[in-house]
Amino acid sequence: MAKEVFMPKLSSTMEVGTLLQWFKAEGDPVEVGEPLFEIMTDKINIEVESYEEGVLLKRYYDVDEEIPVNAVIGYVGEENEEVPEEPPAADGEADDGAISQAEGGRKYTPSDVPTAVAPGTDGTPAAAVSGAEKAPADADGKVRATPAARRVAREQNVELGSVKGSGPKGRVHEQDVKDALDSTKATPLAGKIAGDQDVDLSQVEGSGPHGKVRKADVMQHTAASAQVQLSEDTERIKLKGLRKAVADKMVQSTSTIPHVTLTSEVDMTHVIDVRKSLLPIIEKQTGYRLSYTEILMKATSQVLEAHPRVNASLIDHEIVLNKSVNIGLAVDVEDGLIVPSVKEVNHKGLAELTEVSKTVGKKARDNQLTPAEMTGSTFSISNLGMYAVDGFTPIINPPETAILGVGRIVEKPVVVDGEVEVRPMMVLSLSFDHRAIDGAPAAAFLTDLKERLENPYGLLI
Amino acid sequence: MMKTYNLAIIGAGPGGYVAAIRAAKEGLSVALVTGGDLGGTCLNRGCIPSKTMLKHAEVIEHIKDAKTYGITVNDFSFSIKDMVDRKHKVVNTLKNGIKSLMKQNKVDVYQGYGHIAEDKTVTIENGGSLDGLETIQADNVILANGSKPFVPELPGIEDVDYYTSDTIFNIDDVPEHLVIMGGGVIGLEIACIFNSLNTKVEIVEMADRILPGEDPDASDFLRRELGKKGIGIHTNAKITGIRKDDQQKAVEFEAGDGSKSMIETDSVLVAVGRTPNLTGIENLGVHFDGRFVKVDQRFETSIAGIYAVGDLIGGYQLAHAASDEGIRAVNHILGEANPQAESIIPRCVYTFPEIASVGITEVQAKEKGYNVKTKKVDIAANGKAIAAGETSGFMKLIADDKYGEVLGVVMVGSHVTEMISQATSYMHLEGTVDEIDSMVFPHPTVSESLGEAGSAWLEKGIHYS
Repeated sequence: MAKEVFMPKLSSTMEVGTLLQWFKAEGDPVEVGEPLFEIMTDKINIEVESYEEGVLLKRYYDVDEEIPVNAVIGYVGEENEEVPEEPPAADGEADDGAISQAEGGRKYTPSDVPTAVAPGTDGTPAAAVSGAEKAPADADGKVRATPAARRVAREQNVELGSVKGSGPKGRVHEQDVKDALDSTKATPLAGKIAGDQDVDLSQVEGSGPHGKVRKADVMQHTAASAQVQLSEDTERIKLKGLRKAVADKMVQSTSTIPHVTLTSEVDMTHVIDVRKSLLPIIEKQTGYRLSYTEILMKATSQVLEAHPRVNASLIDHEIVLNKSVNIGLAVDVEDGLIVPSVKEVNHKGLAELTEVSKTVGKKARDNQLTPAEMTGSTFSISNLGMYAVDGFTPIINPPETAILGVGRIVEKPVVVDGEVEVRPMMVLSLSFDHRAIDGAPAAAFLTDLKERLENPYGLLI
Repeated sequence: MMKTYNLAIIGAGPGGYVAAIRAAKEGLSVALVTGGDLGGTCLNRGCIPSKTMLKHAEVIEHIKDAKTYGITVNDFSFSIKDMVDRKHKVVNTLKNGIKSLMKQNKVDVYQGYGHIAEDKTVTIENGGSLDGLETIQADNVILANGSKPFVPELPGIEDVDYYTSDTIFNIDDVPEHLVIMGGGVIGLEIACIFNSLNTKVEIVEMADRILPGEDPDASDFLRRELGKKGIGIHTNAKITGIRKDDQQKAVEFEAGDGSKSMIETDSVLVAVGRTPNLTGIENLGVHFDGRFVKVDQRFETSIAGIYAVGDLIGGYQLAHAASDEGIRAVNHILGEANPQAESIIPRCVYTFPEIASVGITEVQAKEKGYNVKTKKVDIAANGKAIAAGETSGFMKLIADDKYGEVLGVVMVGSHVTEMISQATSYMHLEGTVDEIDSMVFPHPTVSESLGEAGSAWLEKGIHYS
């Protein structure tokens, strides 16, 4: 009996995975534990290994295709066994969705991620609400939808999670599914040409009745793309995987959150002293070098404890005051940005913080972060201090309500006690969500943070 | 005070009156100005009279063929007067229909030729008397003047009586012998009518084949079928003159090889084409493209706000093309930003057998650079056709090999004019040959042949390969 190979659901927010490569061709023998294919989620790349022994009978998808979670992407079985020509519809949206997700998780587990990554297990607010532009999911990961909507989605092979719901609490109605289908309606001829020329029909504006895409529309679209290509020798990078995840998140954040950015200049004289004194001690203890980032994290976490509104998340019209102070660290990785979360920063000493943040930074760059390490932050820090950057306007990482941008430390003449002195100065840029935080409390937070950094011995208290 | 309208339409043929109704339904105030009868050439002197007379001819053909169905008709006769009377009734029924539609949609109909000025005033002459002039002011004008039979300047033509399509459907006596100048749609349909009325019909066509604009397979097929009925066809024949010869007329023509011939006849029909009717726009100053008024793709002339549709602008010179153009002109007047894709206009010839086609021909498709693949399926093996004893004809599918895009369909046979819309639907909705193959056609019907043509094109034919 041939066994399905599923697209694993690796986190509660994962909806699709992009197939990066197949390790096996159709007809190749497969051992248990052998990697079958590699996927990229919105967060990580992962090799998925086989839990069956046999022959890879069928591959339904090609490299670079986006595949919904729990979709059957192939079959492993005995040689010459019959399998369907077309992939069976994913039953992830059906009423027994949760069960089949669990099955998917059992059968095929990513080789470097613990099986415990099941929907809702990390229990952090971030996990429950990310992907807010899509249909909202219940606590068990199920999309809210009417039975009729589920039926139409099943019949038409529409992924419910990708449909925007118009009902109460974002519930997906039958018409929403139909509208989603309509949005890429094309004539048979236009569909064939688009398929052949690799044109994404959803990107083509239809001139037919109700926006139906006709041949002329596809031709015009390809001609327009060709024009761009002809006009200059461009390189084209498809928005996919992590790049797409970053792009989507940025659009979501800037289009929904009213950002305000405050800046303040901090005299870093004493922080520099503290770092100098602690650096050898921490390096000896942990093997890692203490950087300003950790001191900033520590100071920020302490000030956040005193300003819980700045450590809040805005979820579904509610401001959630988080008890933990988990700080997201923006890490620049190849063609993207990852924000691993360092948990309970306020309860960690500088040595532990140094070790933890250096470790997650490396894991982020090596693509080894676990979903738990990427979620749950309550406030983020983006440090561009290594560049010739003073102030900037950081973009909030929702559902967080504020983010701190850190600039370089540069020696400047400043007036101290009526005298001009040269001091190492650094600009802090605090962006906050004006829906959740007003200007005065944000300014108070930034002022306290400046105070704490200028008198860092308070960190010891 | 001068009456004002959002839209004045000149001409009440299928271009004009259809546009008038659409515009009125969209809320415009509309004046329809016509020097002739409601329904224009189509209803009064064209499509409808010819189809009525063709039906009479078809009944005669059925009676003549009755024996093949096991039915003996011992004696029958017909009256041309009664036939023409019936034609009048048909025309009047439809004309009254249009009249009430005008009333229902509150379109003001002005009887009289309209003279249009650049400022979009229309002066209507009433009964030709200058005193009865009435002037209306419009925001927009659609010229749907139509056309009239073109009579070429031939030596001797002024000295003989001849018929045109304007007069032949009101004929008093059935001629013994009819020479038809022109082997186009009009000439061929009239040839079939009079062939059934036992007139000896001869067609003289200048081109190398009849229906020169249609698919060569179709025109060759029709030529053979008409030949079997005893219709004489002279192609590559250039008429050089007409002589009056006692009671008879002599039509002289020159063959392609330069040899001269002459046919003696008692009657002549001139059916070499139609020329635009320019009454009322002689001094307007719109630009022309040859004989025809020049328009852009929104059917606007060189004068903003003045549109032209139908036979006046050339093109297919078909009633339904004119109606489509009229509606498009109205859409533009109503502010439609982008003109829709060019309409796909089906073409019907109501000869025995009929010819219906849509899209482009095989030759045109190749010229346009398509990777053309065609499939022709004979109707001879179709169950319904055999049962009806109407087995002559074929369906030909012209499609692009790459995507199975349907480029054109040609149908020849009985009732094919009623079936061409199926092919038009595929083209309009951009269905491909795969959809023709997978769609279920009812059995037994002649229309199954289209499905068979689609399947056979894909090399999946059931009854055909």
